[in-house]
Amino acid sequence: MKRVRVIPVIMINNGRAVITQKFSKPIYVGDPINSIKILNDKEVDELVILDITDKKIQKKPDFELIAKMASESFMPLAYGGHVTEIADAEILLKCGIEKISFNRALFTHPEMVKELSYRVGKQSIVASIDVNKNLVGTYQIKTRNGTETVGSDIERILHDVLELGVGEIFLNAIYRDGTMEGYDEKILKRVTSAVNVPVIACGGAATTADFLKAVKEGGASAVAAGAMFFFKGGFNSVLVNYPDQKKLLSEFYTHLG
Amino acid sequence: MGLPAEIDQGDAKISPLNAYRMCSVTVMDTTVPGITFNEMGESNFCQYYQDLAQRTILRDPAILKSDYDEAIQTIKHEGRKKPYDCILGISGGMDSTYLAWLAKKEGLRPLLVHFDNGWNSELAVKNIENIVNILGFDLHTFVMDWEEFRDLQRSYFTASVVDVEVPTDQLIFAALNRIAYQNNIKYILAGNNVVCESINPDGWVYKDKLDLVNLRDIHAAYGKLKLRKLPRLGIIQRYFYEAVAGILTVNLLDLITYNKASVKKLIEKELNWRDYGGKHYESVFTRFYQGYYLPKKFNIDKRKAHLSNLILSGQMTREEALTILQTPTYLEKDQQADLRYVIKKLGFSEAEWKTIMQKPRIEHASFKTENDFSTRAFYFVFRSAMYIPVRLLRMVGILSRVKQIGSRW
Amino acid sequence: MVVIVDYGVGNLMAIQNIIRKVGGDSVVTSEPEIIAKAQKLILPGVGSFGYCAQQLKNRNLIPVLEQEVLLKKKLVLGLCVGAQLMTSGSEESPEKGLGWVDAKTVKFNTAIVPIVPHMGWCDVHFKKQLPLSKGFEEGARFYFVHSYHFVFDRPEEVLATAHYGYDFACAFQKENILGAQFHPEKSHRFGMKLFENFLEA
Repeated sequence: MKRVRVIPVIMINNGRAVITQKFSKPIYVGDPINSIKILNDKEVDELVILDITDKKIQKKPDFELIAKMASESFMPLAYGGHVTEIADAEILLKCGIEKISFNRALFTHPEMVKELSYRVGKQSIVASIDVNKNLVGTYQIKTRNGTETVGSDIERILHDVLELGVGEIFLNAIYRDGTMEGYDEKILKRVTSAVNVPVIACGGAATTADFLKAVKEGGASAVAAGAMFFFKGGFNSVLVNYPDQKKLLSEFYTHLG
Repeated sequence: MGLPAEIDQGDAKISPLNAYRMCSVTVMDTTVPGITFNEMGESNFCQYYQDLAQRTILRDPAILKSDYDEAIQTIKHEGRKKPYDCILGISGGMDSTYLAWLAKKEGLRPLLVHFDNGWNSELAVKNIENIVNILGFDLHTFVMDWEEFRDLQRSYFTASVVDVEVPTDQLIFAALNRIAYQNNIKYILAGNNVVCESINPDGWVYKDKLDLVNLRDIHAAYGKLKLRKLPRLGIIQRYFYEAVAGILTVNLLDLITYNKASVKKLIEKELNWRDYGGKHYESVFTRFYQGYYLPKKFNIDKRKAHLSNLILSGQMTREEALTILQTPTYLEKDQQADLRYVIKKLGFSEAEWKTIMQKPRIEHASFKTENDFSTRAFYFVFRSAMYIPVRLLRMVGILSRVKQIGSRW
Repeated sequence: MVVIVDYGVGNLMAIQNIIRKVGGDSVVTSEPEIIAKAQKLILPGVGSFGYCAQQLKNRNLIPVLEQEVLLKKKLVLGLCVGAQLMTSGSEESPEKGLGWVDAKTVKFNTAIVPIVPHMGWCDVHFKKQLPLSKGFEEGARFYFVHSYHFVFDRPEEVLATAHYGYDFACAFQKENILGAQFHPEKSHRFGMKLFENFLEA
């Protein structure tokens, strides 16, 4: 049977777990360590931790918090945020992180990413690619929590990024973030057609049907979500949840073909 | 029965003041401060329970039934034009889960409120998810600010007072009242019940759970952060919620026959509820607190109170209770894992934790309390000043008095 | 005592953490004297085969490992690239493997599976009931991340297979030498079960 990874994303802002909407309006969802413990007990496939704390407040990863989170995790962990030096990346890997996700550093510190990939292997390097649509609907790759534009030549940028030795692409659609309107299969398809590494779809998921569409129509290798796994019901009430194996099997895996 | 029953025989060589002794009816024993025994060897808790039960659950069944029906009707009537007619605090534990099922059965429209203090277990959230999915009620989660709450819990440990559950118990109730007020809801359904949880010996808990003065003083002594985001429930707020906003708490479970075993069976079947193996063990913190911290530091085994309660309400035999007490509070392996988790999460070092475990007990009353003269005097003046305005507002119909229902302990 | 061999690669903390979780004790070391005192050994590894092989050689750990594993027959568990190192070599690099098992490490056939690395959870089918594989039912799943896999000369040494485009050997046992391509330290209760088995074996 084919399995596709279903990955909760947990965002950290000043040590607090939050869920954002279109990369802003963070809603506090509690203590990240306990959230991760619950997700671990739910036997989730993998976890992505993104530290979105402002660079002005925090310059380096919060190693202490990361180590605490990692020690509650018996599943693969990816971490992104504030990594600009090889030494920091190596500390993270020692803490129990499997993969390091890079966003802005792909463009500001490409040599560092390349060197790290050589040292630890590309399976530990994730390129976190944020896309947004401008007023006329053109897709643009963004960095710095969506505030800086890299360019709209998606294929060329991805090609350059893959040259650095990237094992995986984490594609986040800013305009769908936290909206629970479903993934944007169009941009997904465009990215998965352009690369030969796994692509994780993120931004907009609300149901297992969305997962299926991301894989079948978008060509995603894995699916990720934030709000869907942290909220329950219509009022954005925090309640950590994750589909069990039975549900994943009947609503997702069996339809993958 | 592995416990030293021979001491009960009145061995003259052992001073009766120091002798170990266990109640002849329950499993309460001389580890409970202030326990007394009558000539039949029954502890004071037997009489306490009988008195309480007579006033509440042992009243004439016909009266209980009519009280119950009236409570349901009153709640429905009061909330007839609103989206919700009551608030129901939900933890994922047995009592609140059953209460939710009961509310559905009676056609009430509660807003479920879950208080997230950062210690939820997977079981708890899964149970709540099932309740919401199956019963179709709306859920509101009150997420405590973990940084502040941790600071508060840390101060209680450092202070070496016995009742580290006060922050949770007090703030849950504060959150329920606040949300009730915000949503213009008059009734809070509570799962507290005489048959399972009315035995709470002084010295094992701090009786005045809602004592904000005590909480703030303990935090002032050992806390590091300013508490800005915590919901408050001091005497002023309590007066406001009750007398002005007219919010009342109803212990619905005391008006029905509440049998633990059959309730468990029912919610397992109807709501896919899963057991977590111990009273209040739905929270990782409470499991650790009752199963490790209290026994190891204070020599308090709260199971004695819970089991005695069940013996007195006729839901367990003394033999069954004694057998349970022979087993550890929970698996040693899990205790060690919880210990590592708790000190990591609270941010204590190994050395700090060791100091806490060795520090002698400090009484809650050695901090400021609501019973201090100055606070009482202040409250007296405050209430007197409010008396006439509130009466006037009620007379002209701006404030309505909500009908008191159910029985108070 | 279980010794986790530290040669500068691999998620050692995670392995230590899961061993503690199942109630065991472990030591992380690169000291040959401590390795020699071990009852059981774990040889971790992530990243490139060549880099791992070099590191193991540079730290002069091969003699003590061969003495403990090949002569004294101590139980050893290789994980991911650590297991690949036990084969004769890998298509990934010219560096030689330890050659403890009669197998080689080859790249996934990208004509069949266009997307490598193979990353994710996969059902693992254990073929034998050996100490390491006992108690696993169908539905046991493990986390994989790799671009290369073992190919065994003798199928009887294959302990388990998984499927990615085609069936491949994902765990092996030759006497006291055990290896797994997947990451049991990141595979929830399935990984815990495997480490429990390893501790009991």
